[in-house]
Amino acid sequence: MTVHNLYIFDRNGNCLYYNEWNRKKQAGISKEEEFKLMYGMLFSIRSFVSKMSPLDMKEGFLSFQTSKYRLHYYETPSGLKFVLNTDLSVTNARDTLQHIYSNLYVELIVKNPVCASTQTLESELFSSCLDAFIRALPYYSPRAA
Amino acid sequence: MTYVNVIPPSPELSIYGGMADETLFEFLHMEIVSHVYKEQQSSKGTMDNKDRAVCVSVLEGMGFRVGQGLIERLTRDSPSFKDELDIMKFICKDFWTKVFRRQVDNLRTNHQGTYVLQDNKFNLLTQLSNGKQYLDQAPKYLAFSCGVVRGALSNLGLESVVTAEVSVMPSCKFQVVIQKLP
Repeated sequence: MTVHNLYIFDRNGNCLYYNEWNRKKQAGISKEEEFKLMYGMLFSIRSFVSKMSPLDMKEGFLSFQTSKYRLHYYETPSGLKFVLNTDLSVTNARDTLQHIYSNLYVELIVKNPVCASTQTLESELFSSCLDAFIRALPYYSPRAA
Repeated sequence: MTYVNVIPPSPELSIYGGMADETLFEFLHMEIVSHVYKEQQSSKGTMDNKDRAVCVSVLEGMGFRVGQGLIERLTRDSPSFKDELDIMKFICKDFWTKVFRRQVDNLRTNHQGTYVLQDNKFNLLTQLSNGKQYLDQAPKYLAFSCGVVRGALSNLGLESVVTAEVSVMPSCKFQVVIQKLP
């Protein structure tokens, strides 16, 4: 049971924050390329999901899973995108992502006069609170399943 | 010139437990500080120490008027104070609670007009950082609060000079030096 990594993108596609806890294999490309790849994929899959939906859609794209991991997605009304990769035992991380947004991002970044919310988030307070929060999650353990 | 009016949270505003007006002030304060600094900087490209001092004194002046008004409202129903120390204790407990949502953690004095108020979780600094990061930015966000304290004391009959210093956030010390009349 574990959390692998977390990305936060702003509405223009810039990666504001990335951190990993338990990533065994890297993508083999530079971090910038990886962020572009991730954002591009999210953009395409969201538009695909809404086009091909046989019913009226409410939330849209929520997550995908492979044989080894699940990717959870949460988009705020302001266009901020949170992406969390966990192992398969975590079925729904929406509440977690929502908590990260409202209790960590809004409290520590939006209300921080020094942090511009369109550049990489450098607040150590945010980093350390987020890290503590992830490690305290019931489904987090230091060793990947 | 209008000043920020602190109203008690009405039931409609209290949906998040009375947080709405506190958050409003926090954002407004951030924007006031940013505005004052931008105004000062707009004429030249960079800021020197004199410009920074001007910004701090503008913010402090704003806080002064707010503090004067606030103290009138907050002491409406209290009896008059016995002496200077009584006033300072009121500032540390009731006033600090109403304005900064907690009490001052430590009050020290030399009994000759100088008081040091220490707040270990000053609420305008808690979102900034938990240590040394952004330490150089902290004084910008303390100027207004220094003015509020000075204004409050002024309307209670005490002229003072209020300064603040921070070494590890979010803890900070406010130094109040009462000016004795010659």
